[in-house]
Amino acid sequence: MINLIKMNLYRMSRAVSTWVMAIVIAVFGFMQFGSLKMFLDDPFNLFDGSGSSSLGFKTLDGVQSVSTFLQNSNILLILAIFVVLFVNAEHKAGFDKNIIGITKNRWKQTLARWISAVIGMTCLILIGYAIMLGLCALFIDNFAFGAVAPMLKSLGLMYLGAVAFSAIFFFFTTLFNSSVGGVVASLIISLGILNLIEMLLDMLVKKFISNPKVLPTDIFYDSVYFSFNHESAGAKAIMIFVLISVAYIVLTVGGSMILQQRRDVK
Amino acid sequence: MDYILTTNELTKTYGKYNAANEVSIHVQRGGIYGLIGRNGAGKTTLMKMIGGLSRPSSGSFEIHGRNGETTEQMMPKVGILIEAPGLYPNMTAFQNLKTKAIALGIKDDNYLRGLLSEVGLSDTGKKKAKQFSLGMKQRLGIAMALVNQPELLILDEPINGLDPQGIAEMRSILHHLCEDRGITILISSHILDELSKVATQYGIIHEGKLLEEESKEELFSKCCERLELRTNDIAKTLEVLNMMGFSKLEVKDDAINIYERLNEGGAITIALARENIQTNEIAVKTEALEDYYFQITGGSKND
Repeated sequence: MINLIKMNLYRMSRAVSTWVMAIVIAVFGFMQFGSLKMFLDDPFNLFDGSGSSSLGFKTLDGVQSVSTFLQNSNILLILAIFVVLFVNAEHKAGFDKNIIGITKNRWKQTLARWISAVIGMTCLILIGYAIMLGLCALFIDNFAFGAVAPMLKSLGLMYLGAVAFSAIFFFFTTLFNSSVGGVVASLIISLGILNLIEMLLDMLVKKFISNPKVLPTDIFYDSVYFSFNHESAGAKAIMIFVLISVAYIVLTVGGSMILQQRRDVK
Repeated sequence: MDYILTTNELTKTYGKYNAANEVSIHVQRGGIYGLIGRNGAGKTTLMKMIGGLSRPSSGSFEIHGRNGETTEQMMPKVGILIEAPGLYPNMTAFQNLKTKAIALGIKDDNYLRGLLSEVGLSDTGKKKAKQFSLGMKQRLGIAMALVNQPELLILDEPINGLDPQGIAEMRSILHHLCEDRGITILISSHILDELSKVATQYGIIHEGKLLEEESKEELFSKCCERLELRTNDIAKTLEVLNMMGFSKLEVKDDAINIYERLNEGGAITIALARENIQTNEIAVKTEALEDYYFQITGGSKND
């Protein structure tokens, strides 16, 4: 298993897509900093002095920087695309043919691929966040790092949510065996198209059942990730969020492992 | 007989279609087993099952005499190149090998460079796999299959699409691997003439079924020479040939094929002339492997 993870990290480090995504996330970190500074400083009263109030805070600390960075649909989209490209590269190249036959348990390959993808995602998050945090510390007057513990708690929860979100795309890409399937699924969910579909289904299904929340489209992104307020959440809310996130990871990654174990290589 | 691989009624079914139907092959250690069959005959399906890429619907196979669960222990001793080589296009030849080597826990870079040298790719340097010719990709595919030091190498159509030089290079590599390294090779192709230059054992597969399995000697004895005779009166000609003592003959279409005393063409012509039978054509011909294949599979060249 360790060797398989090493192999995946080796190919990840040599994939063009990895470096493209690293640049994209670095730019994203820079842009996040730019928008924060614009709202907080507002030196030319571009926002009629209401920039900071629209953000909900006038001084920036570690927890708020995590919220700004990770609870953003764009970064989730970037991470999802990274996972889709990384997972699909092996299928597309047909490289899995070289090792599947000589690996006793095929599911190990899927697990190793997932762990490697998470390592890659973590590196990308750290790159983007470090750039944004560093720029905020240097150029935003109202920035104070604050206590480390709440920031780490916030970072940990948002990170878990982002990983669970990406796990969904990991599953889709494994299921469809193509980046098209994974990307389409990721776009449908990330661009809010799912919400439209959900509304339509709600309208239809409400005629038959009383609780439309059981709809399969009522999934992680809008019903769990964005509705979770990690700054003011109590222990129970945090526990539910963690459980739901872990359940998503277990179901999707476990499902992908079963698919790999049972499916023939094309 | 020392077999490195035997399959026992190996079957792969997709819905109601049997892509491989109770195929039992016996691959001798140290030889090159040529699997002959047209596209869609079931060659790749069979190889995928043996290479661990797909699961048999029924039947089993033994590698080194191990079957069932214990077969999996022998899979690291099997190298495969099935259909297109699985390469990362943006990596160099060395990096592709290195990727597989890491998965197997092999750390010796010199070993990998040796493999590249063995397949004639030692000077590709930083050239990426996507810039390789088809022949280079196929050779790199073979190097990939060799990383785990296999005793059995499974190659599916490795000469497909290669130019004459590429085919000659591939032939040379196959001979080297078999004769110098003692690797048993199971190779499929529908280019029969090429296969006949390397294989020592043959299996003819058609519509998922193994029709024949024979050694090179057996096969070549069947692809024998004959005297092909065409006249204006087949019935009278047969009477003359019978009087001359010919018995190993057959009538095929408008010709009589004679399988003995091939140097008596002149005598036959004179005997026929005495009986006022006109000889339109008489020539010694050799049945090609291809003809034999079509005879066995019941097809024709235009199929």
